[in-house]
Amino acid sequence: MITAMKKTLLAFALVAPLAAQAPVPGAGAPTIDDGSWPMYSGSYGSERFSPLTQIATSNVSKLHPAWVYQPPGTGSLESTPVVVNGVMYVTAGPTIVAALDLKSGRPLWEWTRPIPASVLNLGFPRVNRGVAVLDNTVFVGTLDGYLFALDARAGIERWSVHVGDNKFGHSITAAPLIIRGTGAGNDDDKVIVGISGGEAGIRGFLDAYDAKTGKLAWRFWTVPSPGEAGSETWSADSWVHGGGATWLTGSYDPALNLIYWGTGNPGPDWNGDSRAGDNLYTSSLVAIEATTGKAKWHFQFTPHDVHDWDANQIPVLVDAEINGRMRQLVVQANRNAFFYVLDRKTGEYLLGAPYSKQTWAKGLDEKGRPVLIPGMEPSEKGTTVYPSLQGSTNWASPSYSPRTGLLYVPVREMGSIYFKTATEYKPGTYYTGGSEKALGEEATGAIRAIDVKTGKRVWDFPLPSPMWAGVLSTAGGLVFSGSQEGNFYALDAMTGKPLWNFQTGGPIRSGPMSFAVDGKQHVAVCGGHALFVFAVE
Amino acid sequence: MRNIFFVVLIATAGAPAAAQPARPPAAAGGGSSELAAGKRVFDAQCAWCHGNDGDGGIGPNLHGKLTHATDLKSIVEIVTGGLPGGDMPSFRSPLTEQNIRRVAAYVQSLSRSPRRPAPGNVQHGQAVYDANGCASCHTVDGRGGILGPPLSNVGAQRGAPYLREALLKPEAAHPSGYLVVRAVTGSGEVRGIRISEDVFWVTIRDARGLHTLQKSAVTALERQPDASLMPSYATRIAAGDLDDLIAYLSTLRSAK
Repeated sequence: MITAMKKTLLAFALVAPLAAQAPVPGAGAPTIDDGSWPMYSGSYGSERFSPLTQIATSNVSKLHPAWVYQPPGTGSLESTPVVVNGVMYVTAGPTIVAALDLKSGRPLWEWTRPIPASVLNLGFPRVNRGVAVLDNTVFVGTLDGYLFALDARAGIERWSVHVGDNKFGHSITAAPLIIRGTGAGNDDDKVIVGISGGEAGIRGFLDAYDAKTGKLAWRFWTVPSPGEAGSETWSADSWVHGGGATWLTGSYDPALNLIYWGTGNPGPDWNGDSRAGDNLYTSSLVAIEATTGKAKWHFQFTPHDVHDWDANQIPVLVDAEINGRMRQLVVQANRNAFFYVLDRKTGEYLLGAPYSKQTWAKGLDEKGRPVLIPGMEPSEKGTTVYPSLQGSTNWASPSYSPRTGLLYVPVREMGSIYFKTATEYKPGTYYTGGSEKALGEEATGAIRAIDVKTGKRVWDFPLPSPMWAGVLSTAGGLVFSGSQEGNFYALDAMTGKPLWNFQTGGPIRSGPMSFAVDGKQHVAVCGGHALFVFAVE
Repeated sequence: MRNIFFVVLIATAGAPAAAQPARPPAAAGGGSSELAAGKRVFDAQCAWCHGNDGDGGIGPNLHGKLTHATDLKSIVEIVTGGLPGGDMPSFRSPLTEQNIRRVAAYVQSLSRSPRRPAPGNVQHGQAVYDANGCASCHTVDGRGGILGPPLSNVGAQRGAPYLREALLKPEAAHPSGYLVVRAVTGSGEVRGIRISEDVFWVTIRDARGLHTLQKSAVTALERQPDASLMPSYATRIAAGDLDDLIAYLSTLRSAK
């Protein structure tokens, strides 16, 4: 991994002046190695691993607040800040972008998309989870379904495109993903953006836009239309409102030129009667060729999902030895309570194991398909199932440390009583066919360290309630995360032992990140309605 | 992605039953088959809190005049959007508009029937309340202890079946926000209501007061979701006295 990072850095140095002679996709994209945090998940592999070492197990007890930023308005912060070229870009709900000076914490500019109360957010809060930045452009999706390109220097709008019609429930809360292309003058750089609306009966898609012009490069439909491969997994015309939203940011392997993106639940969520079949490519991971938008492979975690177990959780790209052989892997702790290891070139299923309490499957077969326990579907009178509809983990990001070989997963230990109801599609309304009663009093959370080679739990840091906070691991041997109760804390990455903590005063529903300014490492996290930045004094 | 919690309902408070003329249930603008369809929706989605036949439970009794709704339209609005700031959730997601209309018509039919008052002598019930020391843990009209939930409005919040269960089997009926925890420290043990807990601290209230403990000093912290600090009154109060106490509690309706 360290070697791979050095290669990327080297490629950056070479490619910047000689772009036309370096046909390596993704090369020349912003790098994390210079103290930046260039994208939502830190890097294309979504490890959320900071190579910075100044803040370490030996001195983390001296971590103190450096500055706090409170954005305009009353929206919650679920954003992971991006740091590029010495500026931080953070977002707040419903759709506000702020560019902050790294030293003073003061805004350089703030951009607000006016969002009327009539804008629909069916099935999710009125939030924004972050931006993408490429060269001197900031890209942000809006709650009302647009993608904007802003001048990174002043927040001035360059172009915008209408990605999805909000009156049908389309919306954007996820950070876009930028893909550095291979063309001369970076003329095929792309912005990849996912769509929300899986509770409103949308037909999901993933879009790629030309980064310079906003012109649509391709659209990948997550639900195939009749005649296309996979369409046989939908009965009658159920595919039309089949769901499969793409509401969280994916990952990218430049060498393979493949985008890895998780897809959401089929629609209606809890009543599968009208959509007999596996319902591809919902609740799946899809590997998509960045140049063409064509799927290379897919893996469906929960065929014919009836528990709202979206598979949008961040897919993490890991190189590790499995059964004595070095493999290029993509790993995911899925909402359905199983941890999966796949070959990221082919999609081959290599390993799967439950990492959290579950009562719906006897296990996984040799292809990774769940072997169902009968009678666990939602019902009119209610069916108790673990995990809850929010899953064993949700959108909060995991982190992978190549130093420890551990995936740190924010875990939700909670069950639900699932109800099934009649439903009918009506544009711009819920299309869910059920509800749940959460079993809240027994519910707990944890940061769970999983060995990616075996799927086995190495340590657990228990939390009083299910997790909505993401995780950061660092080369300083630390794991940072938060809690619903406002704690921000650092753990020893090897053992899970707590080494430092700070009460932010609001629930932490975001992923921490790390950056350096003037050679000094900082750690940042959004908690409640504010952004907190820490450094060792 | 969704986040629906069924929670306690504070929707209605009936006028004294005697003031209501007895009328058979009748749906507004719907036939008996529509009403039957509304009852089916009610049984599956609403009886959980409002009890079978709307007699009340963890949520209020729906017979008699409704507090927050005056007509079919306002019942539809409450079922659709919930009561913000209260515990009634929105059913916009699980129910179709047609089923919301049906269930609202059924609720309206319930509200047109007289509320059956809990049988018992209210005045004697108050004496039972006083004699059994209920006020040491509960407040009524601002007076009493705070270890248990306040009761000034309990007659509007809960139905009689819930109140009976709460007295006989308190552990099966304790409300949210009153989780019992037990913490063991080097100097002893604290068992009480969890007031606050984060990753590193826990605050517990027992009869002696508040205890804020650092978790690193707690050797065991046990949640007891099936426990209540309130003892069962099954053998402490005679059956007739219990009816009187429930009748008294059912009259406590302070909410405006």
